[in-house]
Amino acid sequence: MEAPIKQPLLRLRDLSTDIALRRGTVHALDQVNLEVNQGETLGIVGESGSGKTMTVLSIMGLLPAGGSVVGGEILFDGRDLRGMAAPELRRVRGVEMGMVFQDPLTSLNPTMRIGAQVAEPLRVHQGVSKAEARERAVEILRRVGMPRPDKIVDDYPHQLSGGMRQRVVIAMALIRSPRLLIADEPTTALDVTTQRQILELIDDLREEFRMAVILVTHDLGVIAGRADRVAVMYAGRVVETATTAELFRAPRHRYTEALMRALPESAHDGDGRLYSIPGLPPDLSRPLTGCRFAPRCRFATDECRTTDVALTGDGHAFACLHPVTEPVTIAAAAGHDRAVPAAAEPILTVRDLVKEYDAGGAGLRRSAGRVSAVAGVSFEVRPGETLGIVGESGCGKSTVGRLVAGLETPTAGRIVVDGTDIAGLDRRARHRMHRQVQLMFQDSYAAMNPRMRIDSILTEPLEIQQVGDAAARRARVSELLDQVGLPRRALERYPHEFSGGQLQRIGLARSLALRPRLIVADEPVSALDVSVQAQVLNLMRDLQGELGLSYVFISHDLSVVDYMADRIGVMYLGKMVEIGPAHQVVRAPRHPYTKALLDAVPSPDPGRTPSPDTTIQGELPSALNPPTGCRFRTRCPLAQDVCATEPPLSGAAHQVACHFPLRQEAGAAATA
Amino acid sequence: MTRYVLTRLGQALVIVILVTLITFVILHLLPGGAARAILGKEATLQQIAAFNHEMGYDRPLWEQYAMYLRRLVTGDLGYSFQLNQSVAEAIAQRLPKTMLLSVASTLLAVVVAVPLGVVQAVRRNRWPDYTINGLSLLAYATPIFFMGLMMIILFSQVWPVLPPEAPQGFTLAEVLADPAGLVLPTLTLTILTVAVYSRYVRSSMVDNLNENYVRTARSKGLSEGRVIVGHTLRNGLFPVITLLGMYLPALFSGALVVERLFNYPGMGLLFWQAALKRDYPILLGVTLLISVATVLGALVADVLYAAVDPRVRLKAGRS
Repeated sequence: MEAPIKQPLLRLRDLSTDIALRRGTVHALDQVNLEVNQGETLGIVGESGSGKTMTVLSIMGLLPAGGSVVGGEILFDGRDLRGMAAPELRRVRGVEMGMVFQDPLTSLNPTMRIGAQVAEPLRVHQGVSKAEARERAVEILRRVGMPRPDKIVDDYPHQLSGGMRQRVVIAMALIRSPRLLIADEPTTALDVTTQRQILELIDDLREEFRMAVILVTHDLGVIAGRADRVAVMYAGRVVETATTAELFRAPRHRYTEALMRALPESAHDGDGRLYSIPGLPPDLSRPLTGCRFAPRCRFATDECRTTDVALTGDGHAFACLHPVTEPVTIAAAAGHDRAVPAAAEPILTVRDLVKEYDAGGAGLRRSAGRVSAVAGVSFEVRPGETLGIVGESGCGKSTVGRLVAGLETPTAGRIVVDGTDIAGLDRRARHRMHRQVQLMFQDSYAAMNPRMRIDSILTEPLEIQQVGDAAARRARVSELLDQVGLPRRALERYPHEFSGGQLQRIGLARSLALRPRLIVADEPVSALDVSVQAQVLNLMRDLQGELGLSYVFISHDLSVVDYMADRIGVMYLGKMVEIGPAHQVVRAPRHPYTKALLDAVPSPDPGRTPSPDTTIQGELPSALNPPTGCRFRTRCPLAQDVCATEPPLSGAAHQVACHFPLRQEAGAAATA
Repeated sequence: MTRYVLTRLGQALVIVILVTLITFVILHLLPGGAARAILGKEATLQQIAAFNHEMGYDRPLWEQYAMYLRRLVTGDLGYSFQLNQSVAEAIAQRLPKTMLLSVASTLLAVVVAVPLGVVQAVRRNRWPDYTINGLSLLAYATPIFFMGLMMIILFSQVWPVLPPEAPQGFTLAEVLADPAGLVLPTLTLTILTVAVYSRYVRSSMVDNLNENYVRTARSKGLSEGRVIVGHTLRNGLFPVITLLGMYLPALFSGALVVERLFNYPGMGLLFWQAALKRDYPILLGVTLLISVATVLGALVADVLYAAVDPRVRLKAGRS
């Protein structure tokens, strides 16, 4: 895409990095070779522990305690950073490189004004005066799309939203006009619509400043839409590099193939199961021989396990002895219509559910206002059905989950579980209700007492509800472990001894202990890698079939919800704006917000370009004083005067709350 | 900000009133009542009845409490028959001297403890950290009277450079006229305080150095010194501010021992002597004063915290 350039801006040659820990040395990177040209975006993709973040931290000299580069060269503009004196190195890293970090909420100094933080590199490296630094900070903040930058320079980080803070971090990286911008999971902590804004901003700036960009992410969708070339990393090595189009069209390495197959988007028809990679990544503190993926690879031979496989090939290079030859497709999942017995009475009926919180409330003066977290939400869940609830942070989806699970009491409205309204229950009846409805958490590790063994964790619900005697409880706990596919000896261990995926299985076992009929799963796979996510999703679906469970599946990830749910409800700022059969909501959305949300999801298909007209602008309004009428109207491209009156949720199976729905209900004529 | 300060003031006032209530109750729980405590074991029943009537102790409790409060507001903390002096006067004589000791030792402690804690955090789990940690644990574990004794033995007996006794005198000026005598008591208190503070500074700095914003600062190519002084130190010192407010009672209990040991005529010695002689009006007066000072200390720490940490200000602004 660029005129030929004599040498790459950054070249890693056989880069090896070790991290010394108390229990031994982890060889985090093993002879990594990478190149980035000026004006190009290199995507680095891989699961946690693959070394993608260690690679960029090695370049920036930001390795954690005990970490050091032990071999190879980091050639920046032809000069090896490893041979440079400390002050010169600081100057190169501070002026010619810029880095954007994963978590914008914590990557700014909480007690330093925005302007001072943004302009600090100028003050330090170029000795710019205070007044000029401030001016330059305002200028660059304006460039990254900050509203009122002249005000914001004097603000503190906590006064800004996550997306705005990420803009500040980007501004901080750009103020030095770097030649290389490193973005390490820059949008992982952000909502999809914000993610889209930030990724587009980085793209624009790359062109404007003619920078090279390294984009590190676990999300194949983000890579597909933004990178020119991709490097796939596994267990401290680069296993495949190619141009983005080439990689997604014809991946060669078996690991790359497995990653793509594990995406919910590529759920193949038939049983609808996801491909999941068996086993776990290798322990990098041990000496490894052969292909590191061999123990988890379906195609591995003895040769794979014994010979060191080097990255070979020009342009499209891969390190695999048995590469993929057949084409891999990330098929757009066909609507999986599973037979849900429609006749049965709903297990859960929610009517006009309202939850408000007092705002602030510190000190003697209470409630300057009310935060409207959930504002009149209605839906039902039938036995054996999965209802997905999607929406961005702050939309109230988790609050709905907690209300349904009986962890909070609604301000108004009814929640009917199996014929009983739980809002009006006394304490003892509420206690019994918990047998019917259980909650599964996003972070199972945080949700478990670290000092309790797994058997106590699993027995506790049975004890609280006084189910059976000790022997019966033991039998039940063993049965639970079998159901979630964990060995019996797991019972004697503590939560920290398990991996994220295993913990999520334990979390599921805990919520199953009382044989509930409904499980509220709040972001159950958001913290997991794609391959592990596939294992947990498969398990949840298997158990649903076996036990006739119903799920309320809450997630911000539309592709996961699309895969799991029979019906999907979309929430925005406390309101249900659209609800209907999953394939209709995803493939024929009727609400402008749903459409914008779907368009913002990065698709692992480099050919697809999102239409620019559906980008949502601006920030989520405060739930303290939500807009009257349709709450989305302040950001809606279609909004008119009538939107100041509240649109009712209307329709038959596929309902929408919009005065100007994007399309008529599919098959409306047939049902009418 | 103003509202925040007012809210905290209101809370402090409530606590102070509770404290007066508690001291009032203690006054009435004294064996044989206040009369027996003041008139002594030999007093006859008639004498006690006359005393109780004179002092209003035979009236209803709420009335007595109202009178007690009224007296407190006018600065009347009671009368010590043993010192033949009003409690307020006795305290007024000694308070400035104790404050001198406390303020000097605290300032000195902060000046020493902050750099120590920072060095420990930066050189974590290496020899400077281990050495300082060992020494501060030793100081922390040493009883303060033993520490004082060692100081006296070392610096006025083995190597006689400093007087073993604190300066005597009624006024602050008289005390200040003999600065050499102040060194040992101040140092004794300082060493203990340094041990406490440096541990706080260390753990707070360690936490802050692991924060993501420090990595961001490093990515700007700042030198290590700039990262620590310019970014981490300010955030790392917040817990110390809270500690300053909460440490007041501990400081007083330290002063109690140190003043006794060096015969320094401050509040601690006053309290010590009153305790020996069962001078209840003095004991209660000092207790009340220390309680109020503790509440005020916490209040000042909170307000100071709000002044330096922008995040606290916002929360207050919303309430």
